[in-house]
Amino acid sequence: MAAVALGSGEAGTGSAAADRSVTDRAARVGACLERARSGETSALGEIVRELNPLLWHVARGEGLAAEEAADVVQTTWLELVRRLHDIRSPQALTSWLVTATRREAWRVRELSRRKDPDGAARLAAVPDPAPGPGEQLLADEQDQVLWQHVQRLPERCRKLLRVVAHVSRPDYAAVAQALGMPIGSIGPTRGRCLAKLREMLRADPGWSR
Amino acid sequence: MTSPADLPLDGDDQVVLDRLAGIYAQLDPPPADLDERVTFAIALDDADAELARLSRRLMAGSGARSTERTRTITFDADSRAVMITVAARPDGLVRIDGWLAPAAVLRVELRLLEPEPPRVVLADSAGRFVFDGVPHGIAQLLVHQPADDAAPRVITPAFSL
Repeated sequence: MAAVALGSGEAGTGSAAADRSVTDRAARVGACLERARSGETSALGEIVRELNPLLWHVARGEGLAAEEAADVVQTTWLELVRRLHDIRSPQALTSWLVTATRREAWRVRELSRRKDPDGAARLAAVPDPAPGPGEQLLADEQDQVLWQHVQRLPERCRKLLRVVAHVSRPDYAAVAQALGMPIGSIGPTRGRCLAKLREMLRADPGWSR
Repeated sequence: MTSPADLPLDGDDQVVLDRLAGIYAQLDPPPADLDERVTFAIALDDADAELARLSRRLMAGSGARSTERTRTITFDADSRAVMITVAARPDGLVRIDGWLAPAAVLRVELRLLEPEPPRVVLADSAGRFVFDGVPHGIAQLLVHQPADDAAPRVITPAFSL
């Protein structure tokens, strides 16, 4: 029900069809949660496939190496299975998972720091995928233009946008809140990071929108 | 005047964010088996089990003598730690040497991807256990408690062999 209200709250960008798909998704995720709560954890498979990219980027954004990030994502899901009864809605599910992933990532990062003080510098150096050579890996010109500007943003912004880019619309408000982003009266606002990026793109003739 | 930062997200923002998600999918995709690892781990329907977190992973013997590659993985739970050394055998299978700390004579189960059946061994009084001739793939360890003990069993996250 919360999803319906949220869907229409974003009417500025949505259509009736989009609202319907938002409602459908909420119903689908809600049904999977219900089945999982009654013991059928395999019902979560669909949600796992949908949300794993988001959680992966949350963990990587916190500066974890690939193997560690994968472990953190898995631990988060195993924790979820223990907390299923506390999760009330599909939106609550996504923000719970994002929050739990961040917390677990901090824990793991703290542990590696203590065990391997020299590794801390190495960890701190990998919040972004392949900084630099990234551009050469991107075949699409618009992707290259966008990536150049993203790399000019402060690290805090890159980390935030990396996560926000993987949040599906119906989950925006809940996840934005979990990430400490401001929410306007009719839903999530653009925020300073995205506003800055849009401004840079507008000034770039290579960007076609 | 309203700052652009305070405006609601619009369709153009969505275009930028979607494209950004696509870029990250190209530059830093999740491991190919992440979904499979997670669904395998959560399919074990035991929310009461104590979860041992992966606390250390060491590689050894890589390089020239690659047939003797071994990995050591340590999992920590509040009640017990489980340490395993995974060694690749020349025939393409692996051998797992494990230790429980504190040591206890307990049944240790190695859960493997179906259709491979799970294997169960008994740790000795020094806490040692061995699984030999195990195929590569995703696996998970369960340390069972004696039937008369109410303590929860310990499970590890899924890991790749």
